[in-house]
Amino acid sequence: MTTAVQLERIAPVARPGGRARSALWTGALVAYLVGTGVLAHSSSYEQGLLLVAAVYSILALSLDLVAGATGLYSLGHAGLFALGAYGTTILSTHYGWNIFLALPVTVLAVGLVGVVIGALSLRVSGLYFAITTLIFTIIVNVLISDLNITGGYTGLASPPFPNFPHALSFLGSSLAWAVCGALLITVTLLWSIRSSALYPALLAIRDSEPFASSVGVRTSVTRVVIFSLSAALAGLAGWTFSFLGFITPGQFDSTAAVNILVMVILGGMNTRSGPIFGAVFISLFPTVVSMNPLWQEILFGSIFLFVIVFFPEGFVGLLARGGRWLRTKWRPQRGRARPLTEGTPKVTEGTLNANGWGPARKGAGGAKVDVTVQGQTDGATPAPLLPRVALEARGITFSYVKGVKALDNVDFVVERGSIHGLIGPNGSGKSTLVNLLSGELSPQQGTISINGERIEHRPAWQRPGLGLMRTFQTAGMVKELTTRDNVGLGLFSQFRFIEARSVIWPMLPSARRDSRRMAAVASTSLSAVGLGEPWSASRLADVPHGIEQLTQLAAACASQPSILVLDEPLAGLSAGEVDEVATIARRLKADGVTIIVVEHQTRFIFEVCDAVTVLAAGELVKAGSAAEVRADDRVREVYLGL
Amino acid sequence: MLQVVLTGLSTGAIYGLVGMGFAVVFYVTRVINFATGQLLMAAIMVTAALSAGHWPVVVAVAAGLLTSTLGGVVIYFLAVRPVLRFNRLSFAWLVSTLGVAIILESAAALIWGTSSLSFPQLLNGRDVNIFGAALTWEQIITIVIALGTVVAFEVVHRRTLFGKLGTAISSDPEMAAALGANVTLHAVMAFAVGGLLAGIAGVLVGPISFANPYLGETYGIYGFIALMIGGIERPAASMGGGFVLGILATLASTYINPQAADWFPFVVVLAVLLVTPNGIFVSGGALRRRFDALRRKPVAASGSAV
Repeated sequence: MTTAVQLERIAPVARPGGRARSALWTGALVAYLVGTGVLAHSSSYEQGLLLVAAVYSILALSLDLVAGATGLYSLGHAGLFALGAYGTTILSTHYGWNIFLALPVTVLAVGLVGVVIGALSLRVSGLYFAITTLIFTIIVNVLISDLNITGGYTGLASPPFPNFPHALSFLGSSLAWAVCGALLITVTLLWSIRSSALYPALLAIRDSEPFASSVGVRTSVTRVVIFSLSAALAGLAGWTFSFLGFITPGQFDSTAAVNILVMVILGGMNTRSGPIFGAVFISLFPTVVSMNPLWQEILFGSIFLFVIVFFPEGFVGLLARGGRWLRTKWRPQRGRARPLTEGTPKVTEGTLNANGWGPARKGAGGAKVDVTVQGQTDGATPAPLLPRVALEARGITFSYVKGVKALDNVDFVVERGSIHGLIGPNGSGKSTLVNLLSGELSPQQGTISINGERIEHRPAWQRPGLGLMRTFQTAGMVKELTTRDNVGLGLFSQFRFIEARSVIWPMLPSARRDSRRMAAVASTSLSAVGLGEPWSASRLADVPHGIEQLTQLAAACASQPSILVLDEPLAGLSAGEVDEVATIARRLKADGVTIIVVEHQTRFIFEVCDAVTVLAAGELVKAGSAAEVRADDRVREVYLGL
Repeated sequence: MLQVVLTGLSTGAIYGLVGMGFAVVFYVTRVINFATGQLLMAAIMVTAALSAGHWPVVVAVAAGLLTSTLGGVVIYFLAVRPVLRFNRLSFAWLVSTLGVAIILESAAALIWGTSSLSFPQLLNGRDVNIFGAALTWEQIITIVIALGTVVAFEVVHRRTLFGKLGTAISSDPEMAAALGANVTLHAVMAFAVGGLLAGIAGVLVGPISFANPYLGETYGIYGFIALMIGGIERPAASMGGGFVLGILATLASTYINPQAADWFPFVVVLAVLLVTPNGIFVSGGALRRRFDALRRKPVAASGSAV
């Protein structure tokens, strides 16, 4: 039984309303094109205004991709924008390039600069990333102010933009079409990413990198590539901007850098249309509102203050609130959220068999594992295709600080299909060992192998592909997503080419099908840990701690791992919830999953585990069956100090 | 060379004071008050306007400092507190404090016009000769006051409960509040001190810069860069950052060309941030660790000899 088949069975064949939705999008596209046509025939004054607003929309959208979704607050976009604009102008007027040849060259070049800046984000984060990128903008600004080729403070005149050929001249201004086309491309790319399976992964990179890599997201590469994409779009904005009039260093200074971020925040960070609202407002306000320039500035500043103080989510937050208000006013009986207390989680014996996780599937080589595990589930002897030992760590030595060994020559062997407890007092190295197994850390000495395959130097994101999933002691997941979306993230490694497909996700039938499968499997996985409606649709930020822990478990189990590592799964759970986890663990074992549990609650360990390994002060104290370990004198000594 | 260093120190002291103004606020509230430069400007403008109205210089300076201090508090209540109450970790304060900066700058331009006003000369402006380097009394006093501020801040920070609570609040406001710290009071104090520091910088730089509504932006940016060089986690380090920035800028304009003062410091800062992303003067920073390692070696060697 392969997952694909199983997924096919679970997934609904067609999504109701899909056709209506695509009709709606087609309508919106037609309206946009008609609007562009109207703009292309309007006066040059109006065109000048709106095209500048469109360029800033591209810029703000590109910044929101990194700032809102990925958590990289870049102030370097003004510099990237400048590179695009100056690059185009210089290539075209100085070197006589065709502007349509300059387009891919500048976009690509700025994208490459983005790779370098994106790589910086691996070293510096948060505010320091903002500061470092601000310095990038300042340096670019100083260069374009002082160099001869950039025309110094006076700047450069824009290269001519070719008109449509005679046959197409009825379309009007070619520049308007070019700018609106660039905006359309940007919106398509970014909105596609937002609806793709990559989007939750980006949020996870932003909020909880360990979680992201534990489900198979290549966090570093993804961050760099996303930043590079964003930079390339800023370069595209620069290309279009260079045709809209004189470019001067003043348009690309540190104030401009901050202004782009202000556009995003004021409009609504991490929203579809917020950056566009912000960009249009900030770029149009000074021209549209005509009054004493100083009073105008004061009004401008006051709007900043007012909107953010009263609507911290920006214009979009304001609109959403207005929309909700209208809806409740018109239809008071509907739209009321159901209280979350309905339906408490309950694991029933039948859940997992009926529609829950099937037998473990992932391992050294798909089908082979299936046979093995299937055999075990049926109670027969394991097929000789896979070793009896699922996971083996030998001679592991690891120190965080030189000279202090967190783990010293530790052996850890886990048999296939068993529940293996890992216990020890605080500071004994349990979490370090788990982080070594899951690839968060890499041992200085020793080997780790899964199904006989050496993995100790493989990065964390490759673990899900090897069939190993883990949970964390403190669940770090994406608070603003629903529990179902978080569990869906657990399937990230199960679908191929998510990153590459994300930029045109909704247009790909295969991708839409994958999204539906992800949601369906996530729902199934959630109900397998006892979380049905209404929990699956609740935002993680709104659920209690126990539910969050169970969600984490569901996320780790969704991809049907062959090895499951649970780092203190009972932390902060109620007695009832502890029993549930025990039930789930036994069910998983019956399905052939190998489970490693780090836990303090000895009752749970000795009741549930087949084998137990005890660590103390970074050294192996005892490994054996639960009964052996319980009877061991040294273990008593370690735990009771006797 | 000594001339360059001393001139650099006196310019850097101003940047450092503004940087500390940013840092004190950031330290306690995790907010960067983008109107800090405008508070400096407000202090200069009020001082200049009052002294032009024939008030005694001392009164004018006191009123200027009071303006920037109170300005800081007003910014906290108007632009920062409401935003933090919604979401402590969002970047929304960037927009609201920037809004205040725009309002302050334009309001000053409305009231006093956009051309520069004269600023009262606090001292006679005569030069002093220090080992062959000529410095005005103002420059010397600027450096002394800057150092005095750092010492005063560090004493309060390390030796008083109030200062230690600031540390606690900066790392975990909820926990600090649970332990009985008055988080609001600390935040208000931080904004007041931040405003005061910017005001002091303003009054010190006024005789050179004269009074202009757009000064805030210039000094705001330089102060911010001083903050970055020094490292955000320790307010006193901003002063070091300011000195480094001032000396680099003076070096560049003396030995490269006058425009180099615009870009040379930034190139150095970028290089520094790449090596030690959390600033130069932060304990545990990469440079500091390397320095400590160098210093420890001879000690270990002599130890083994004994």
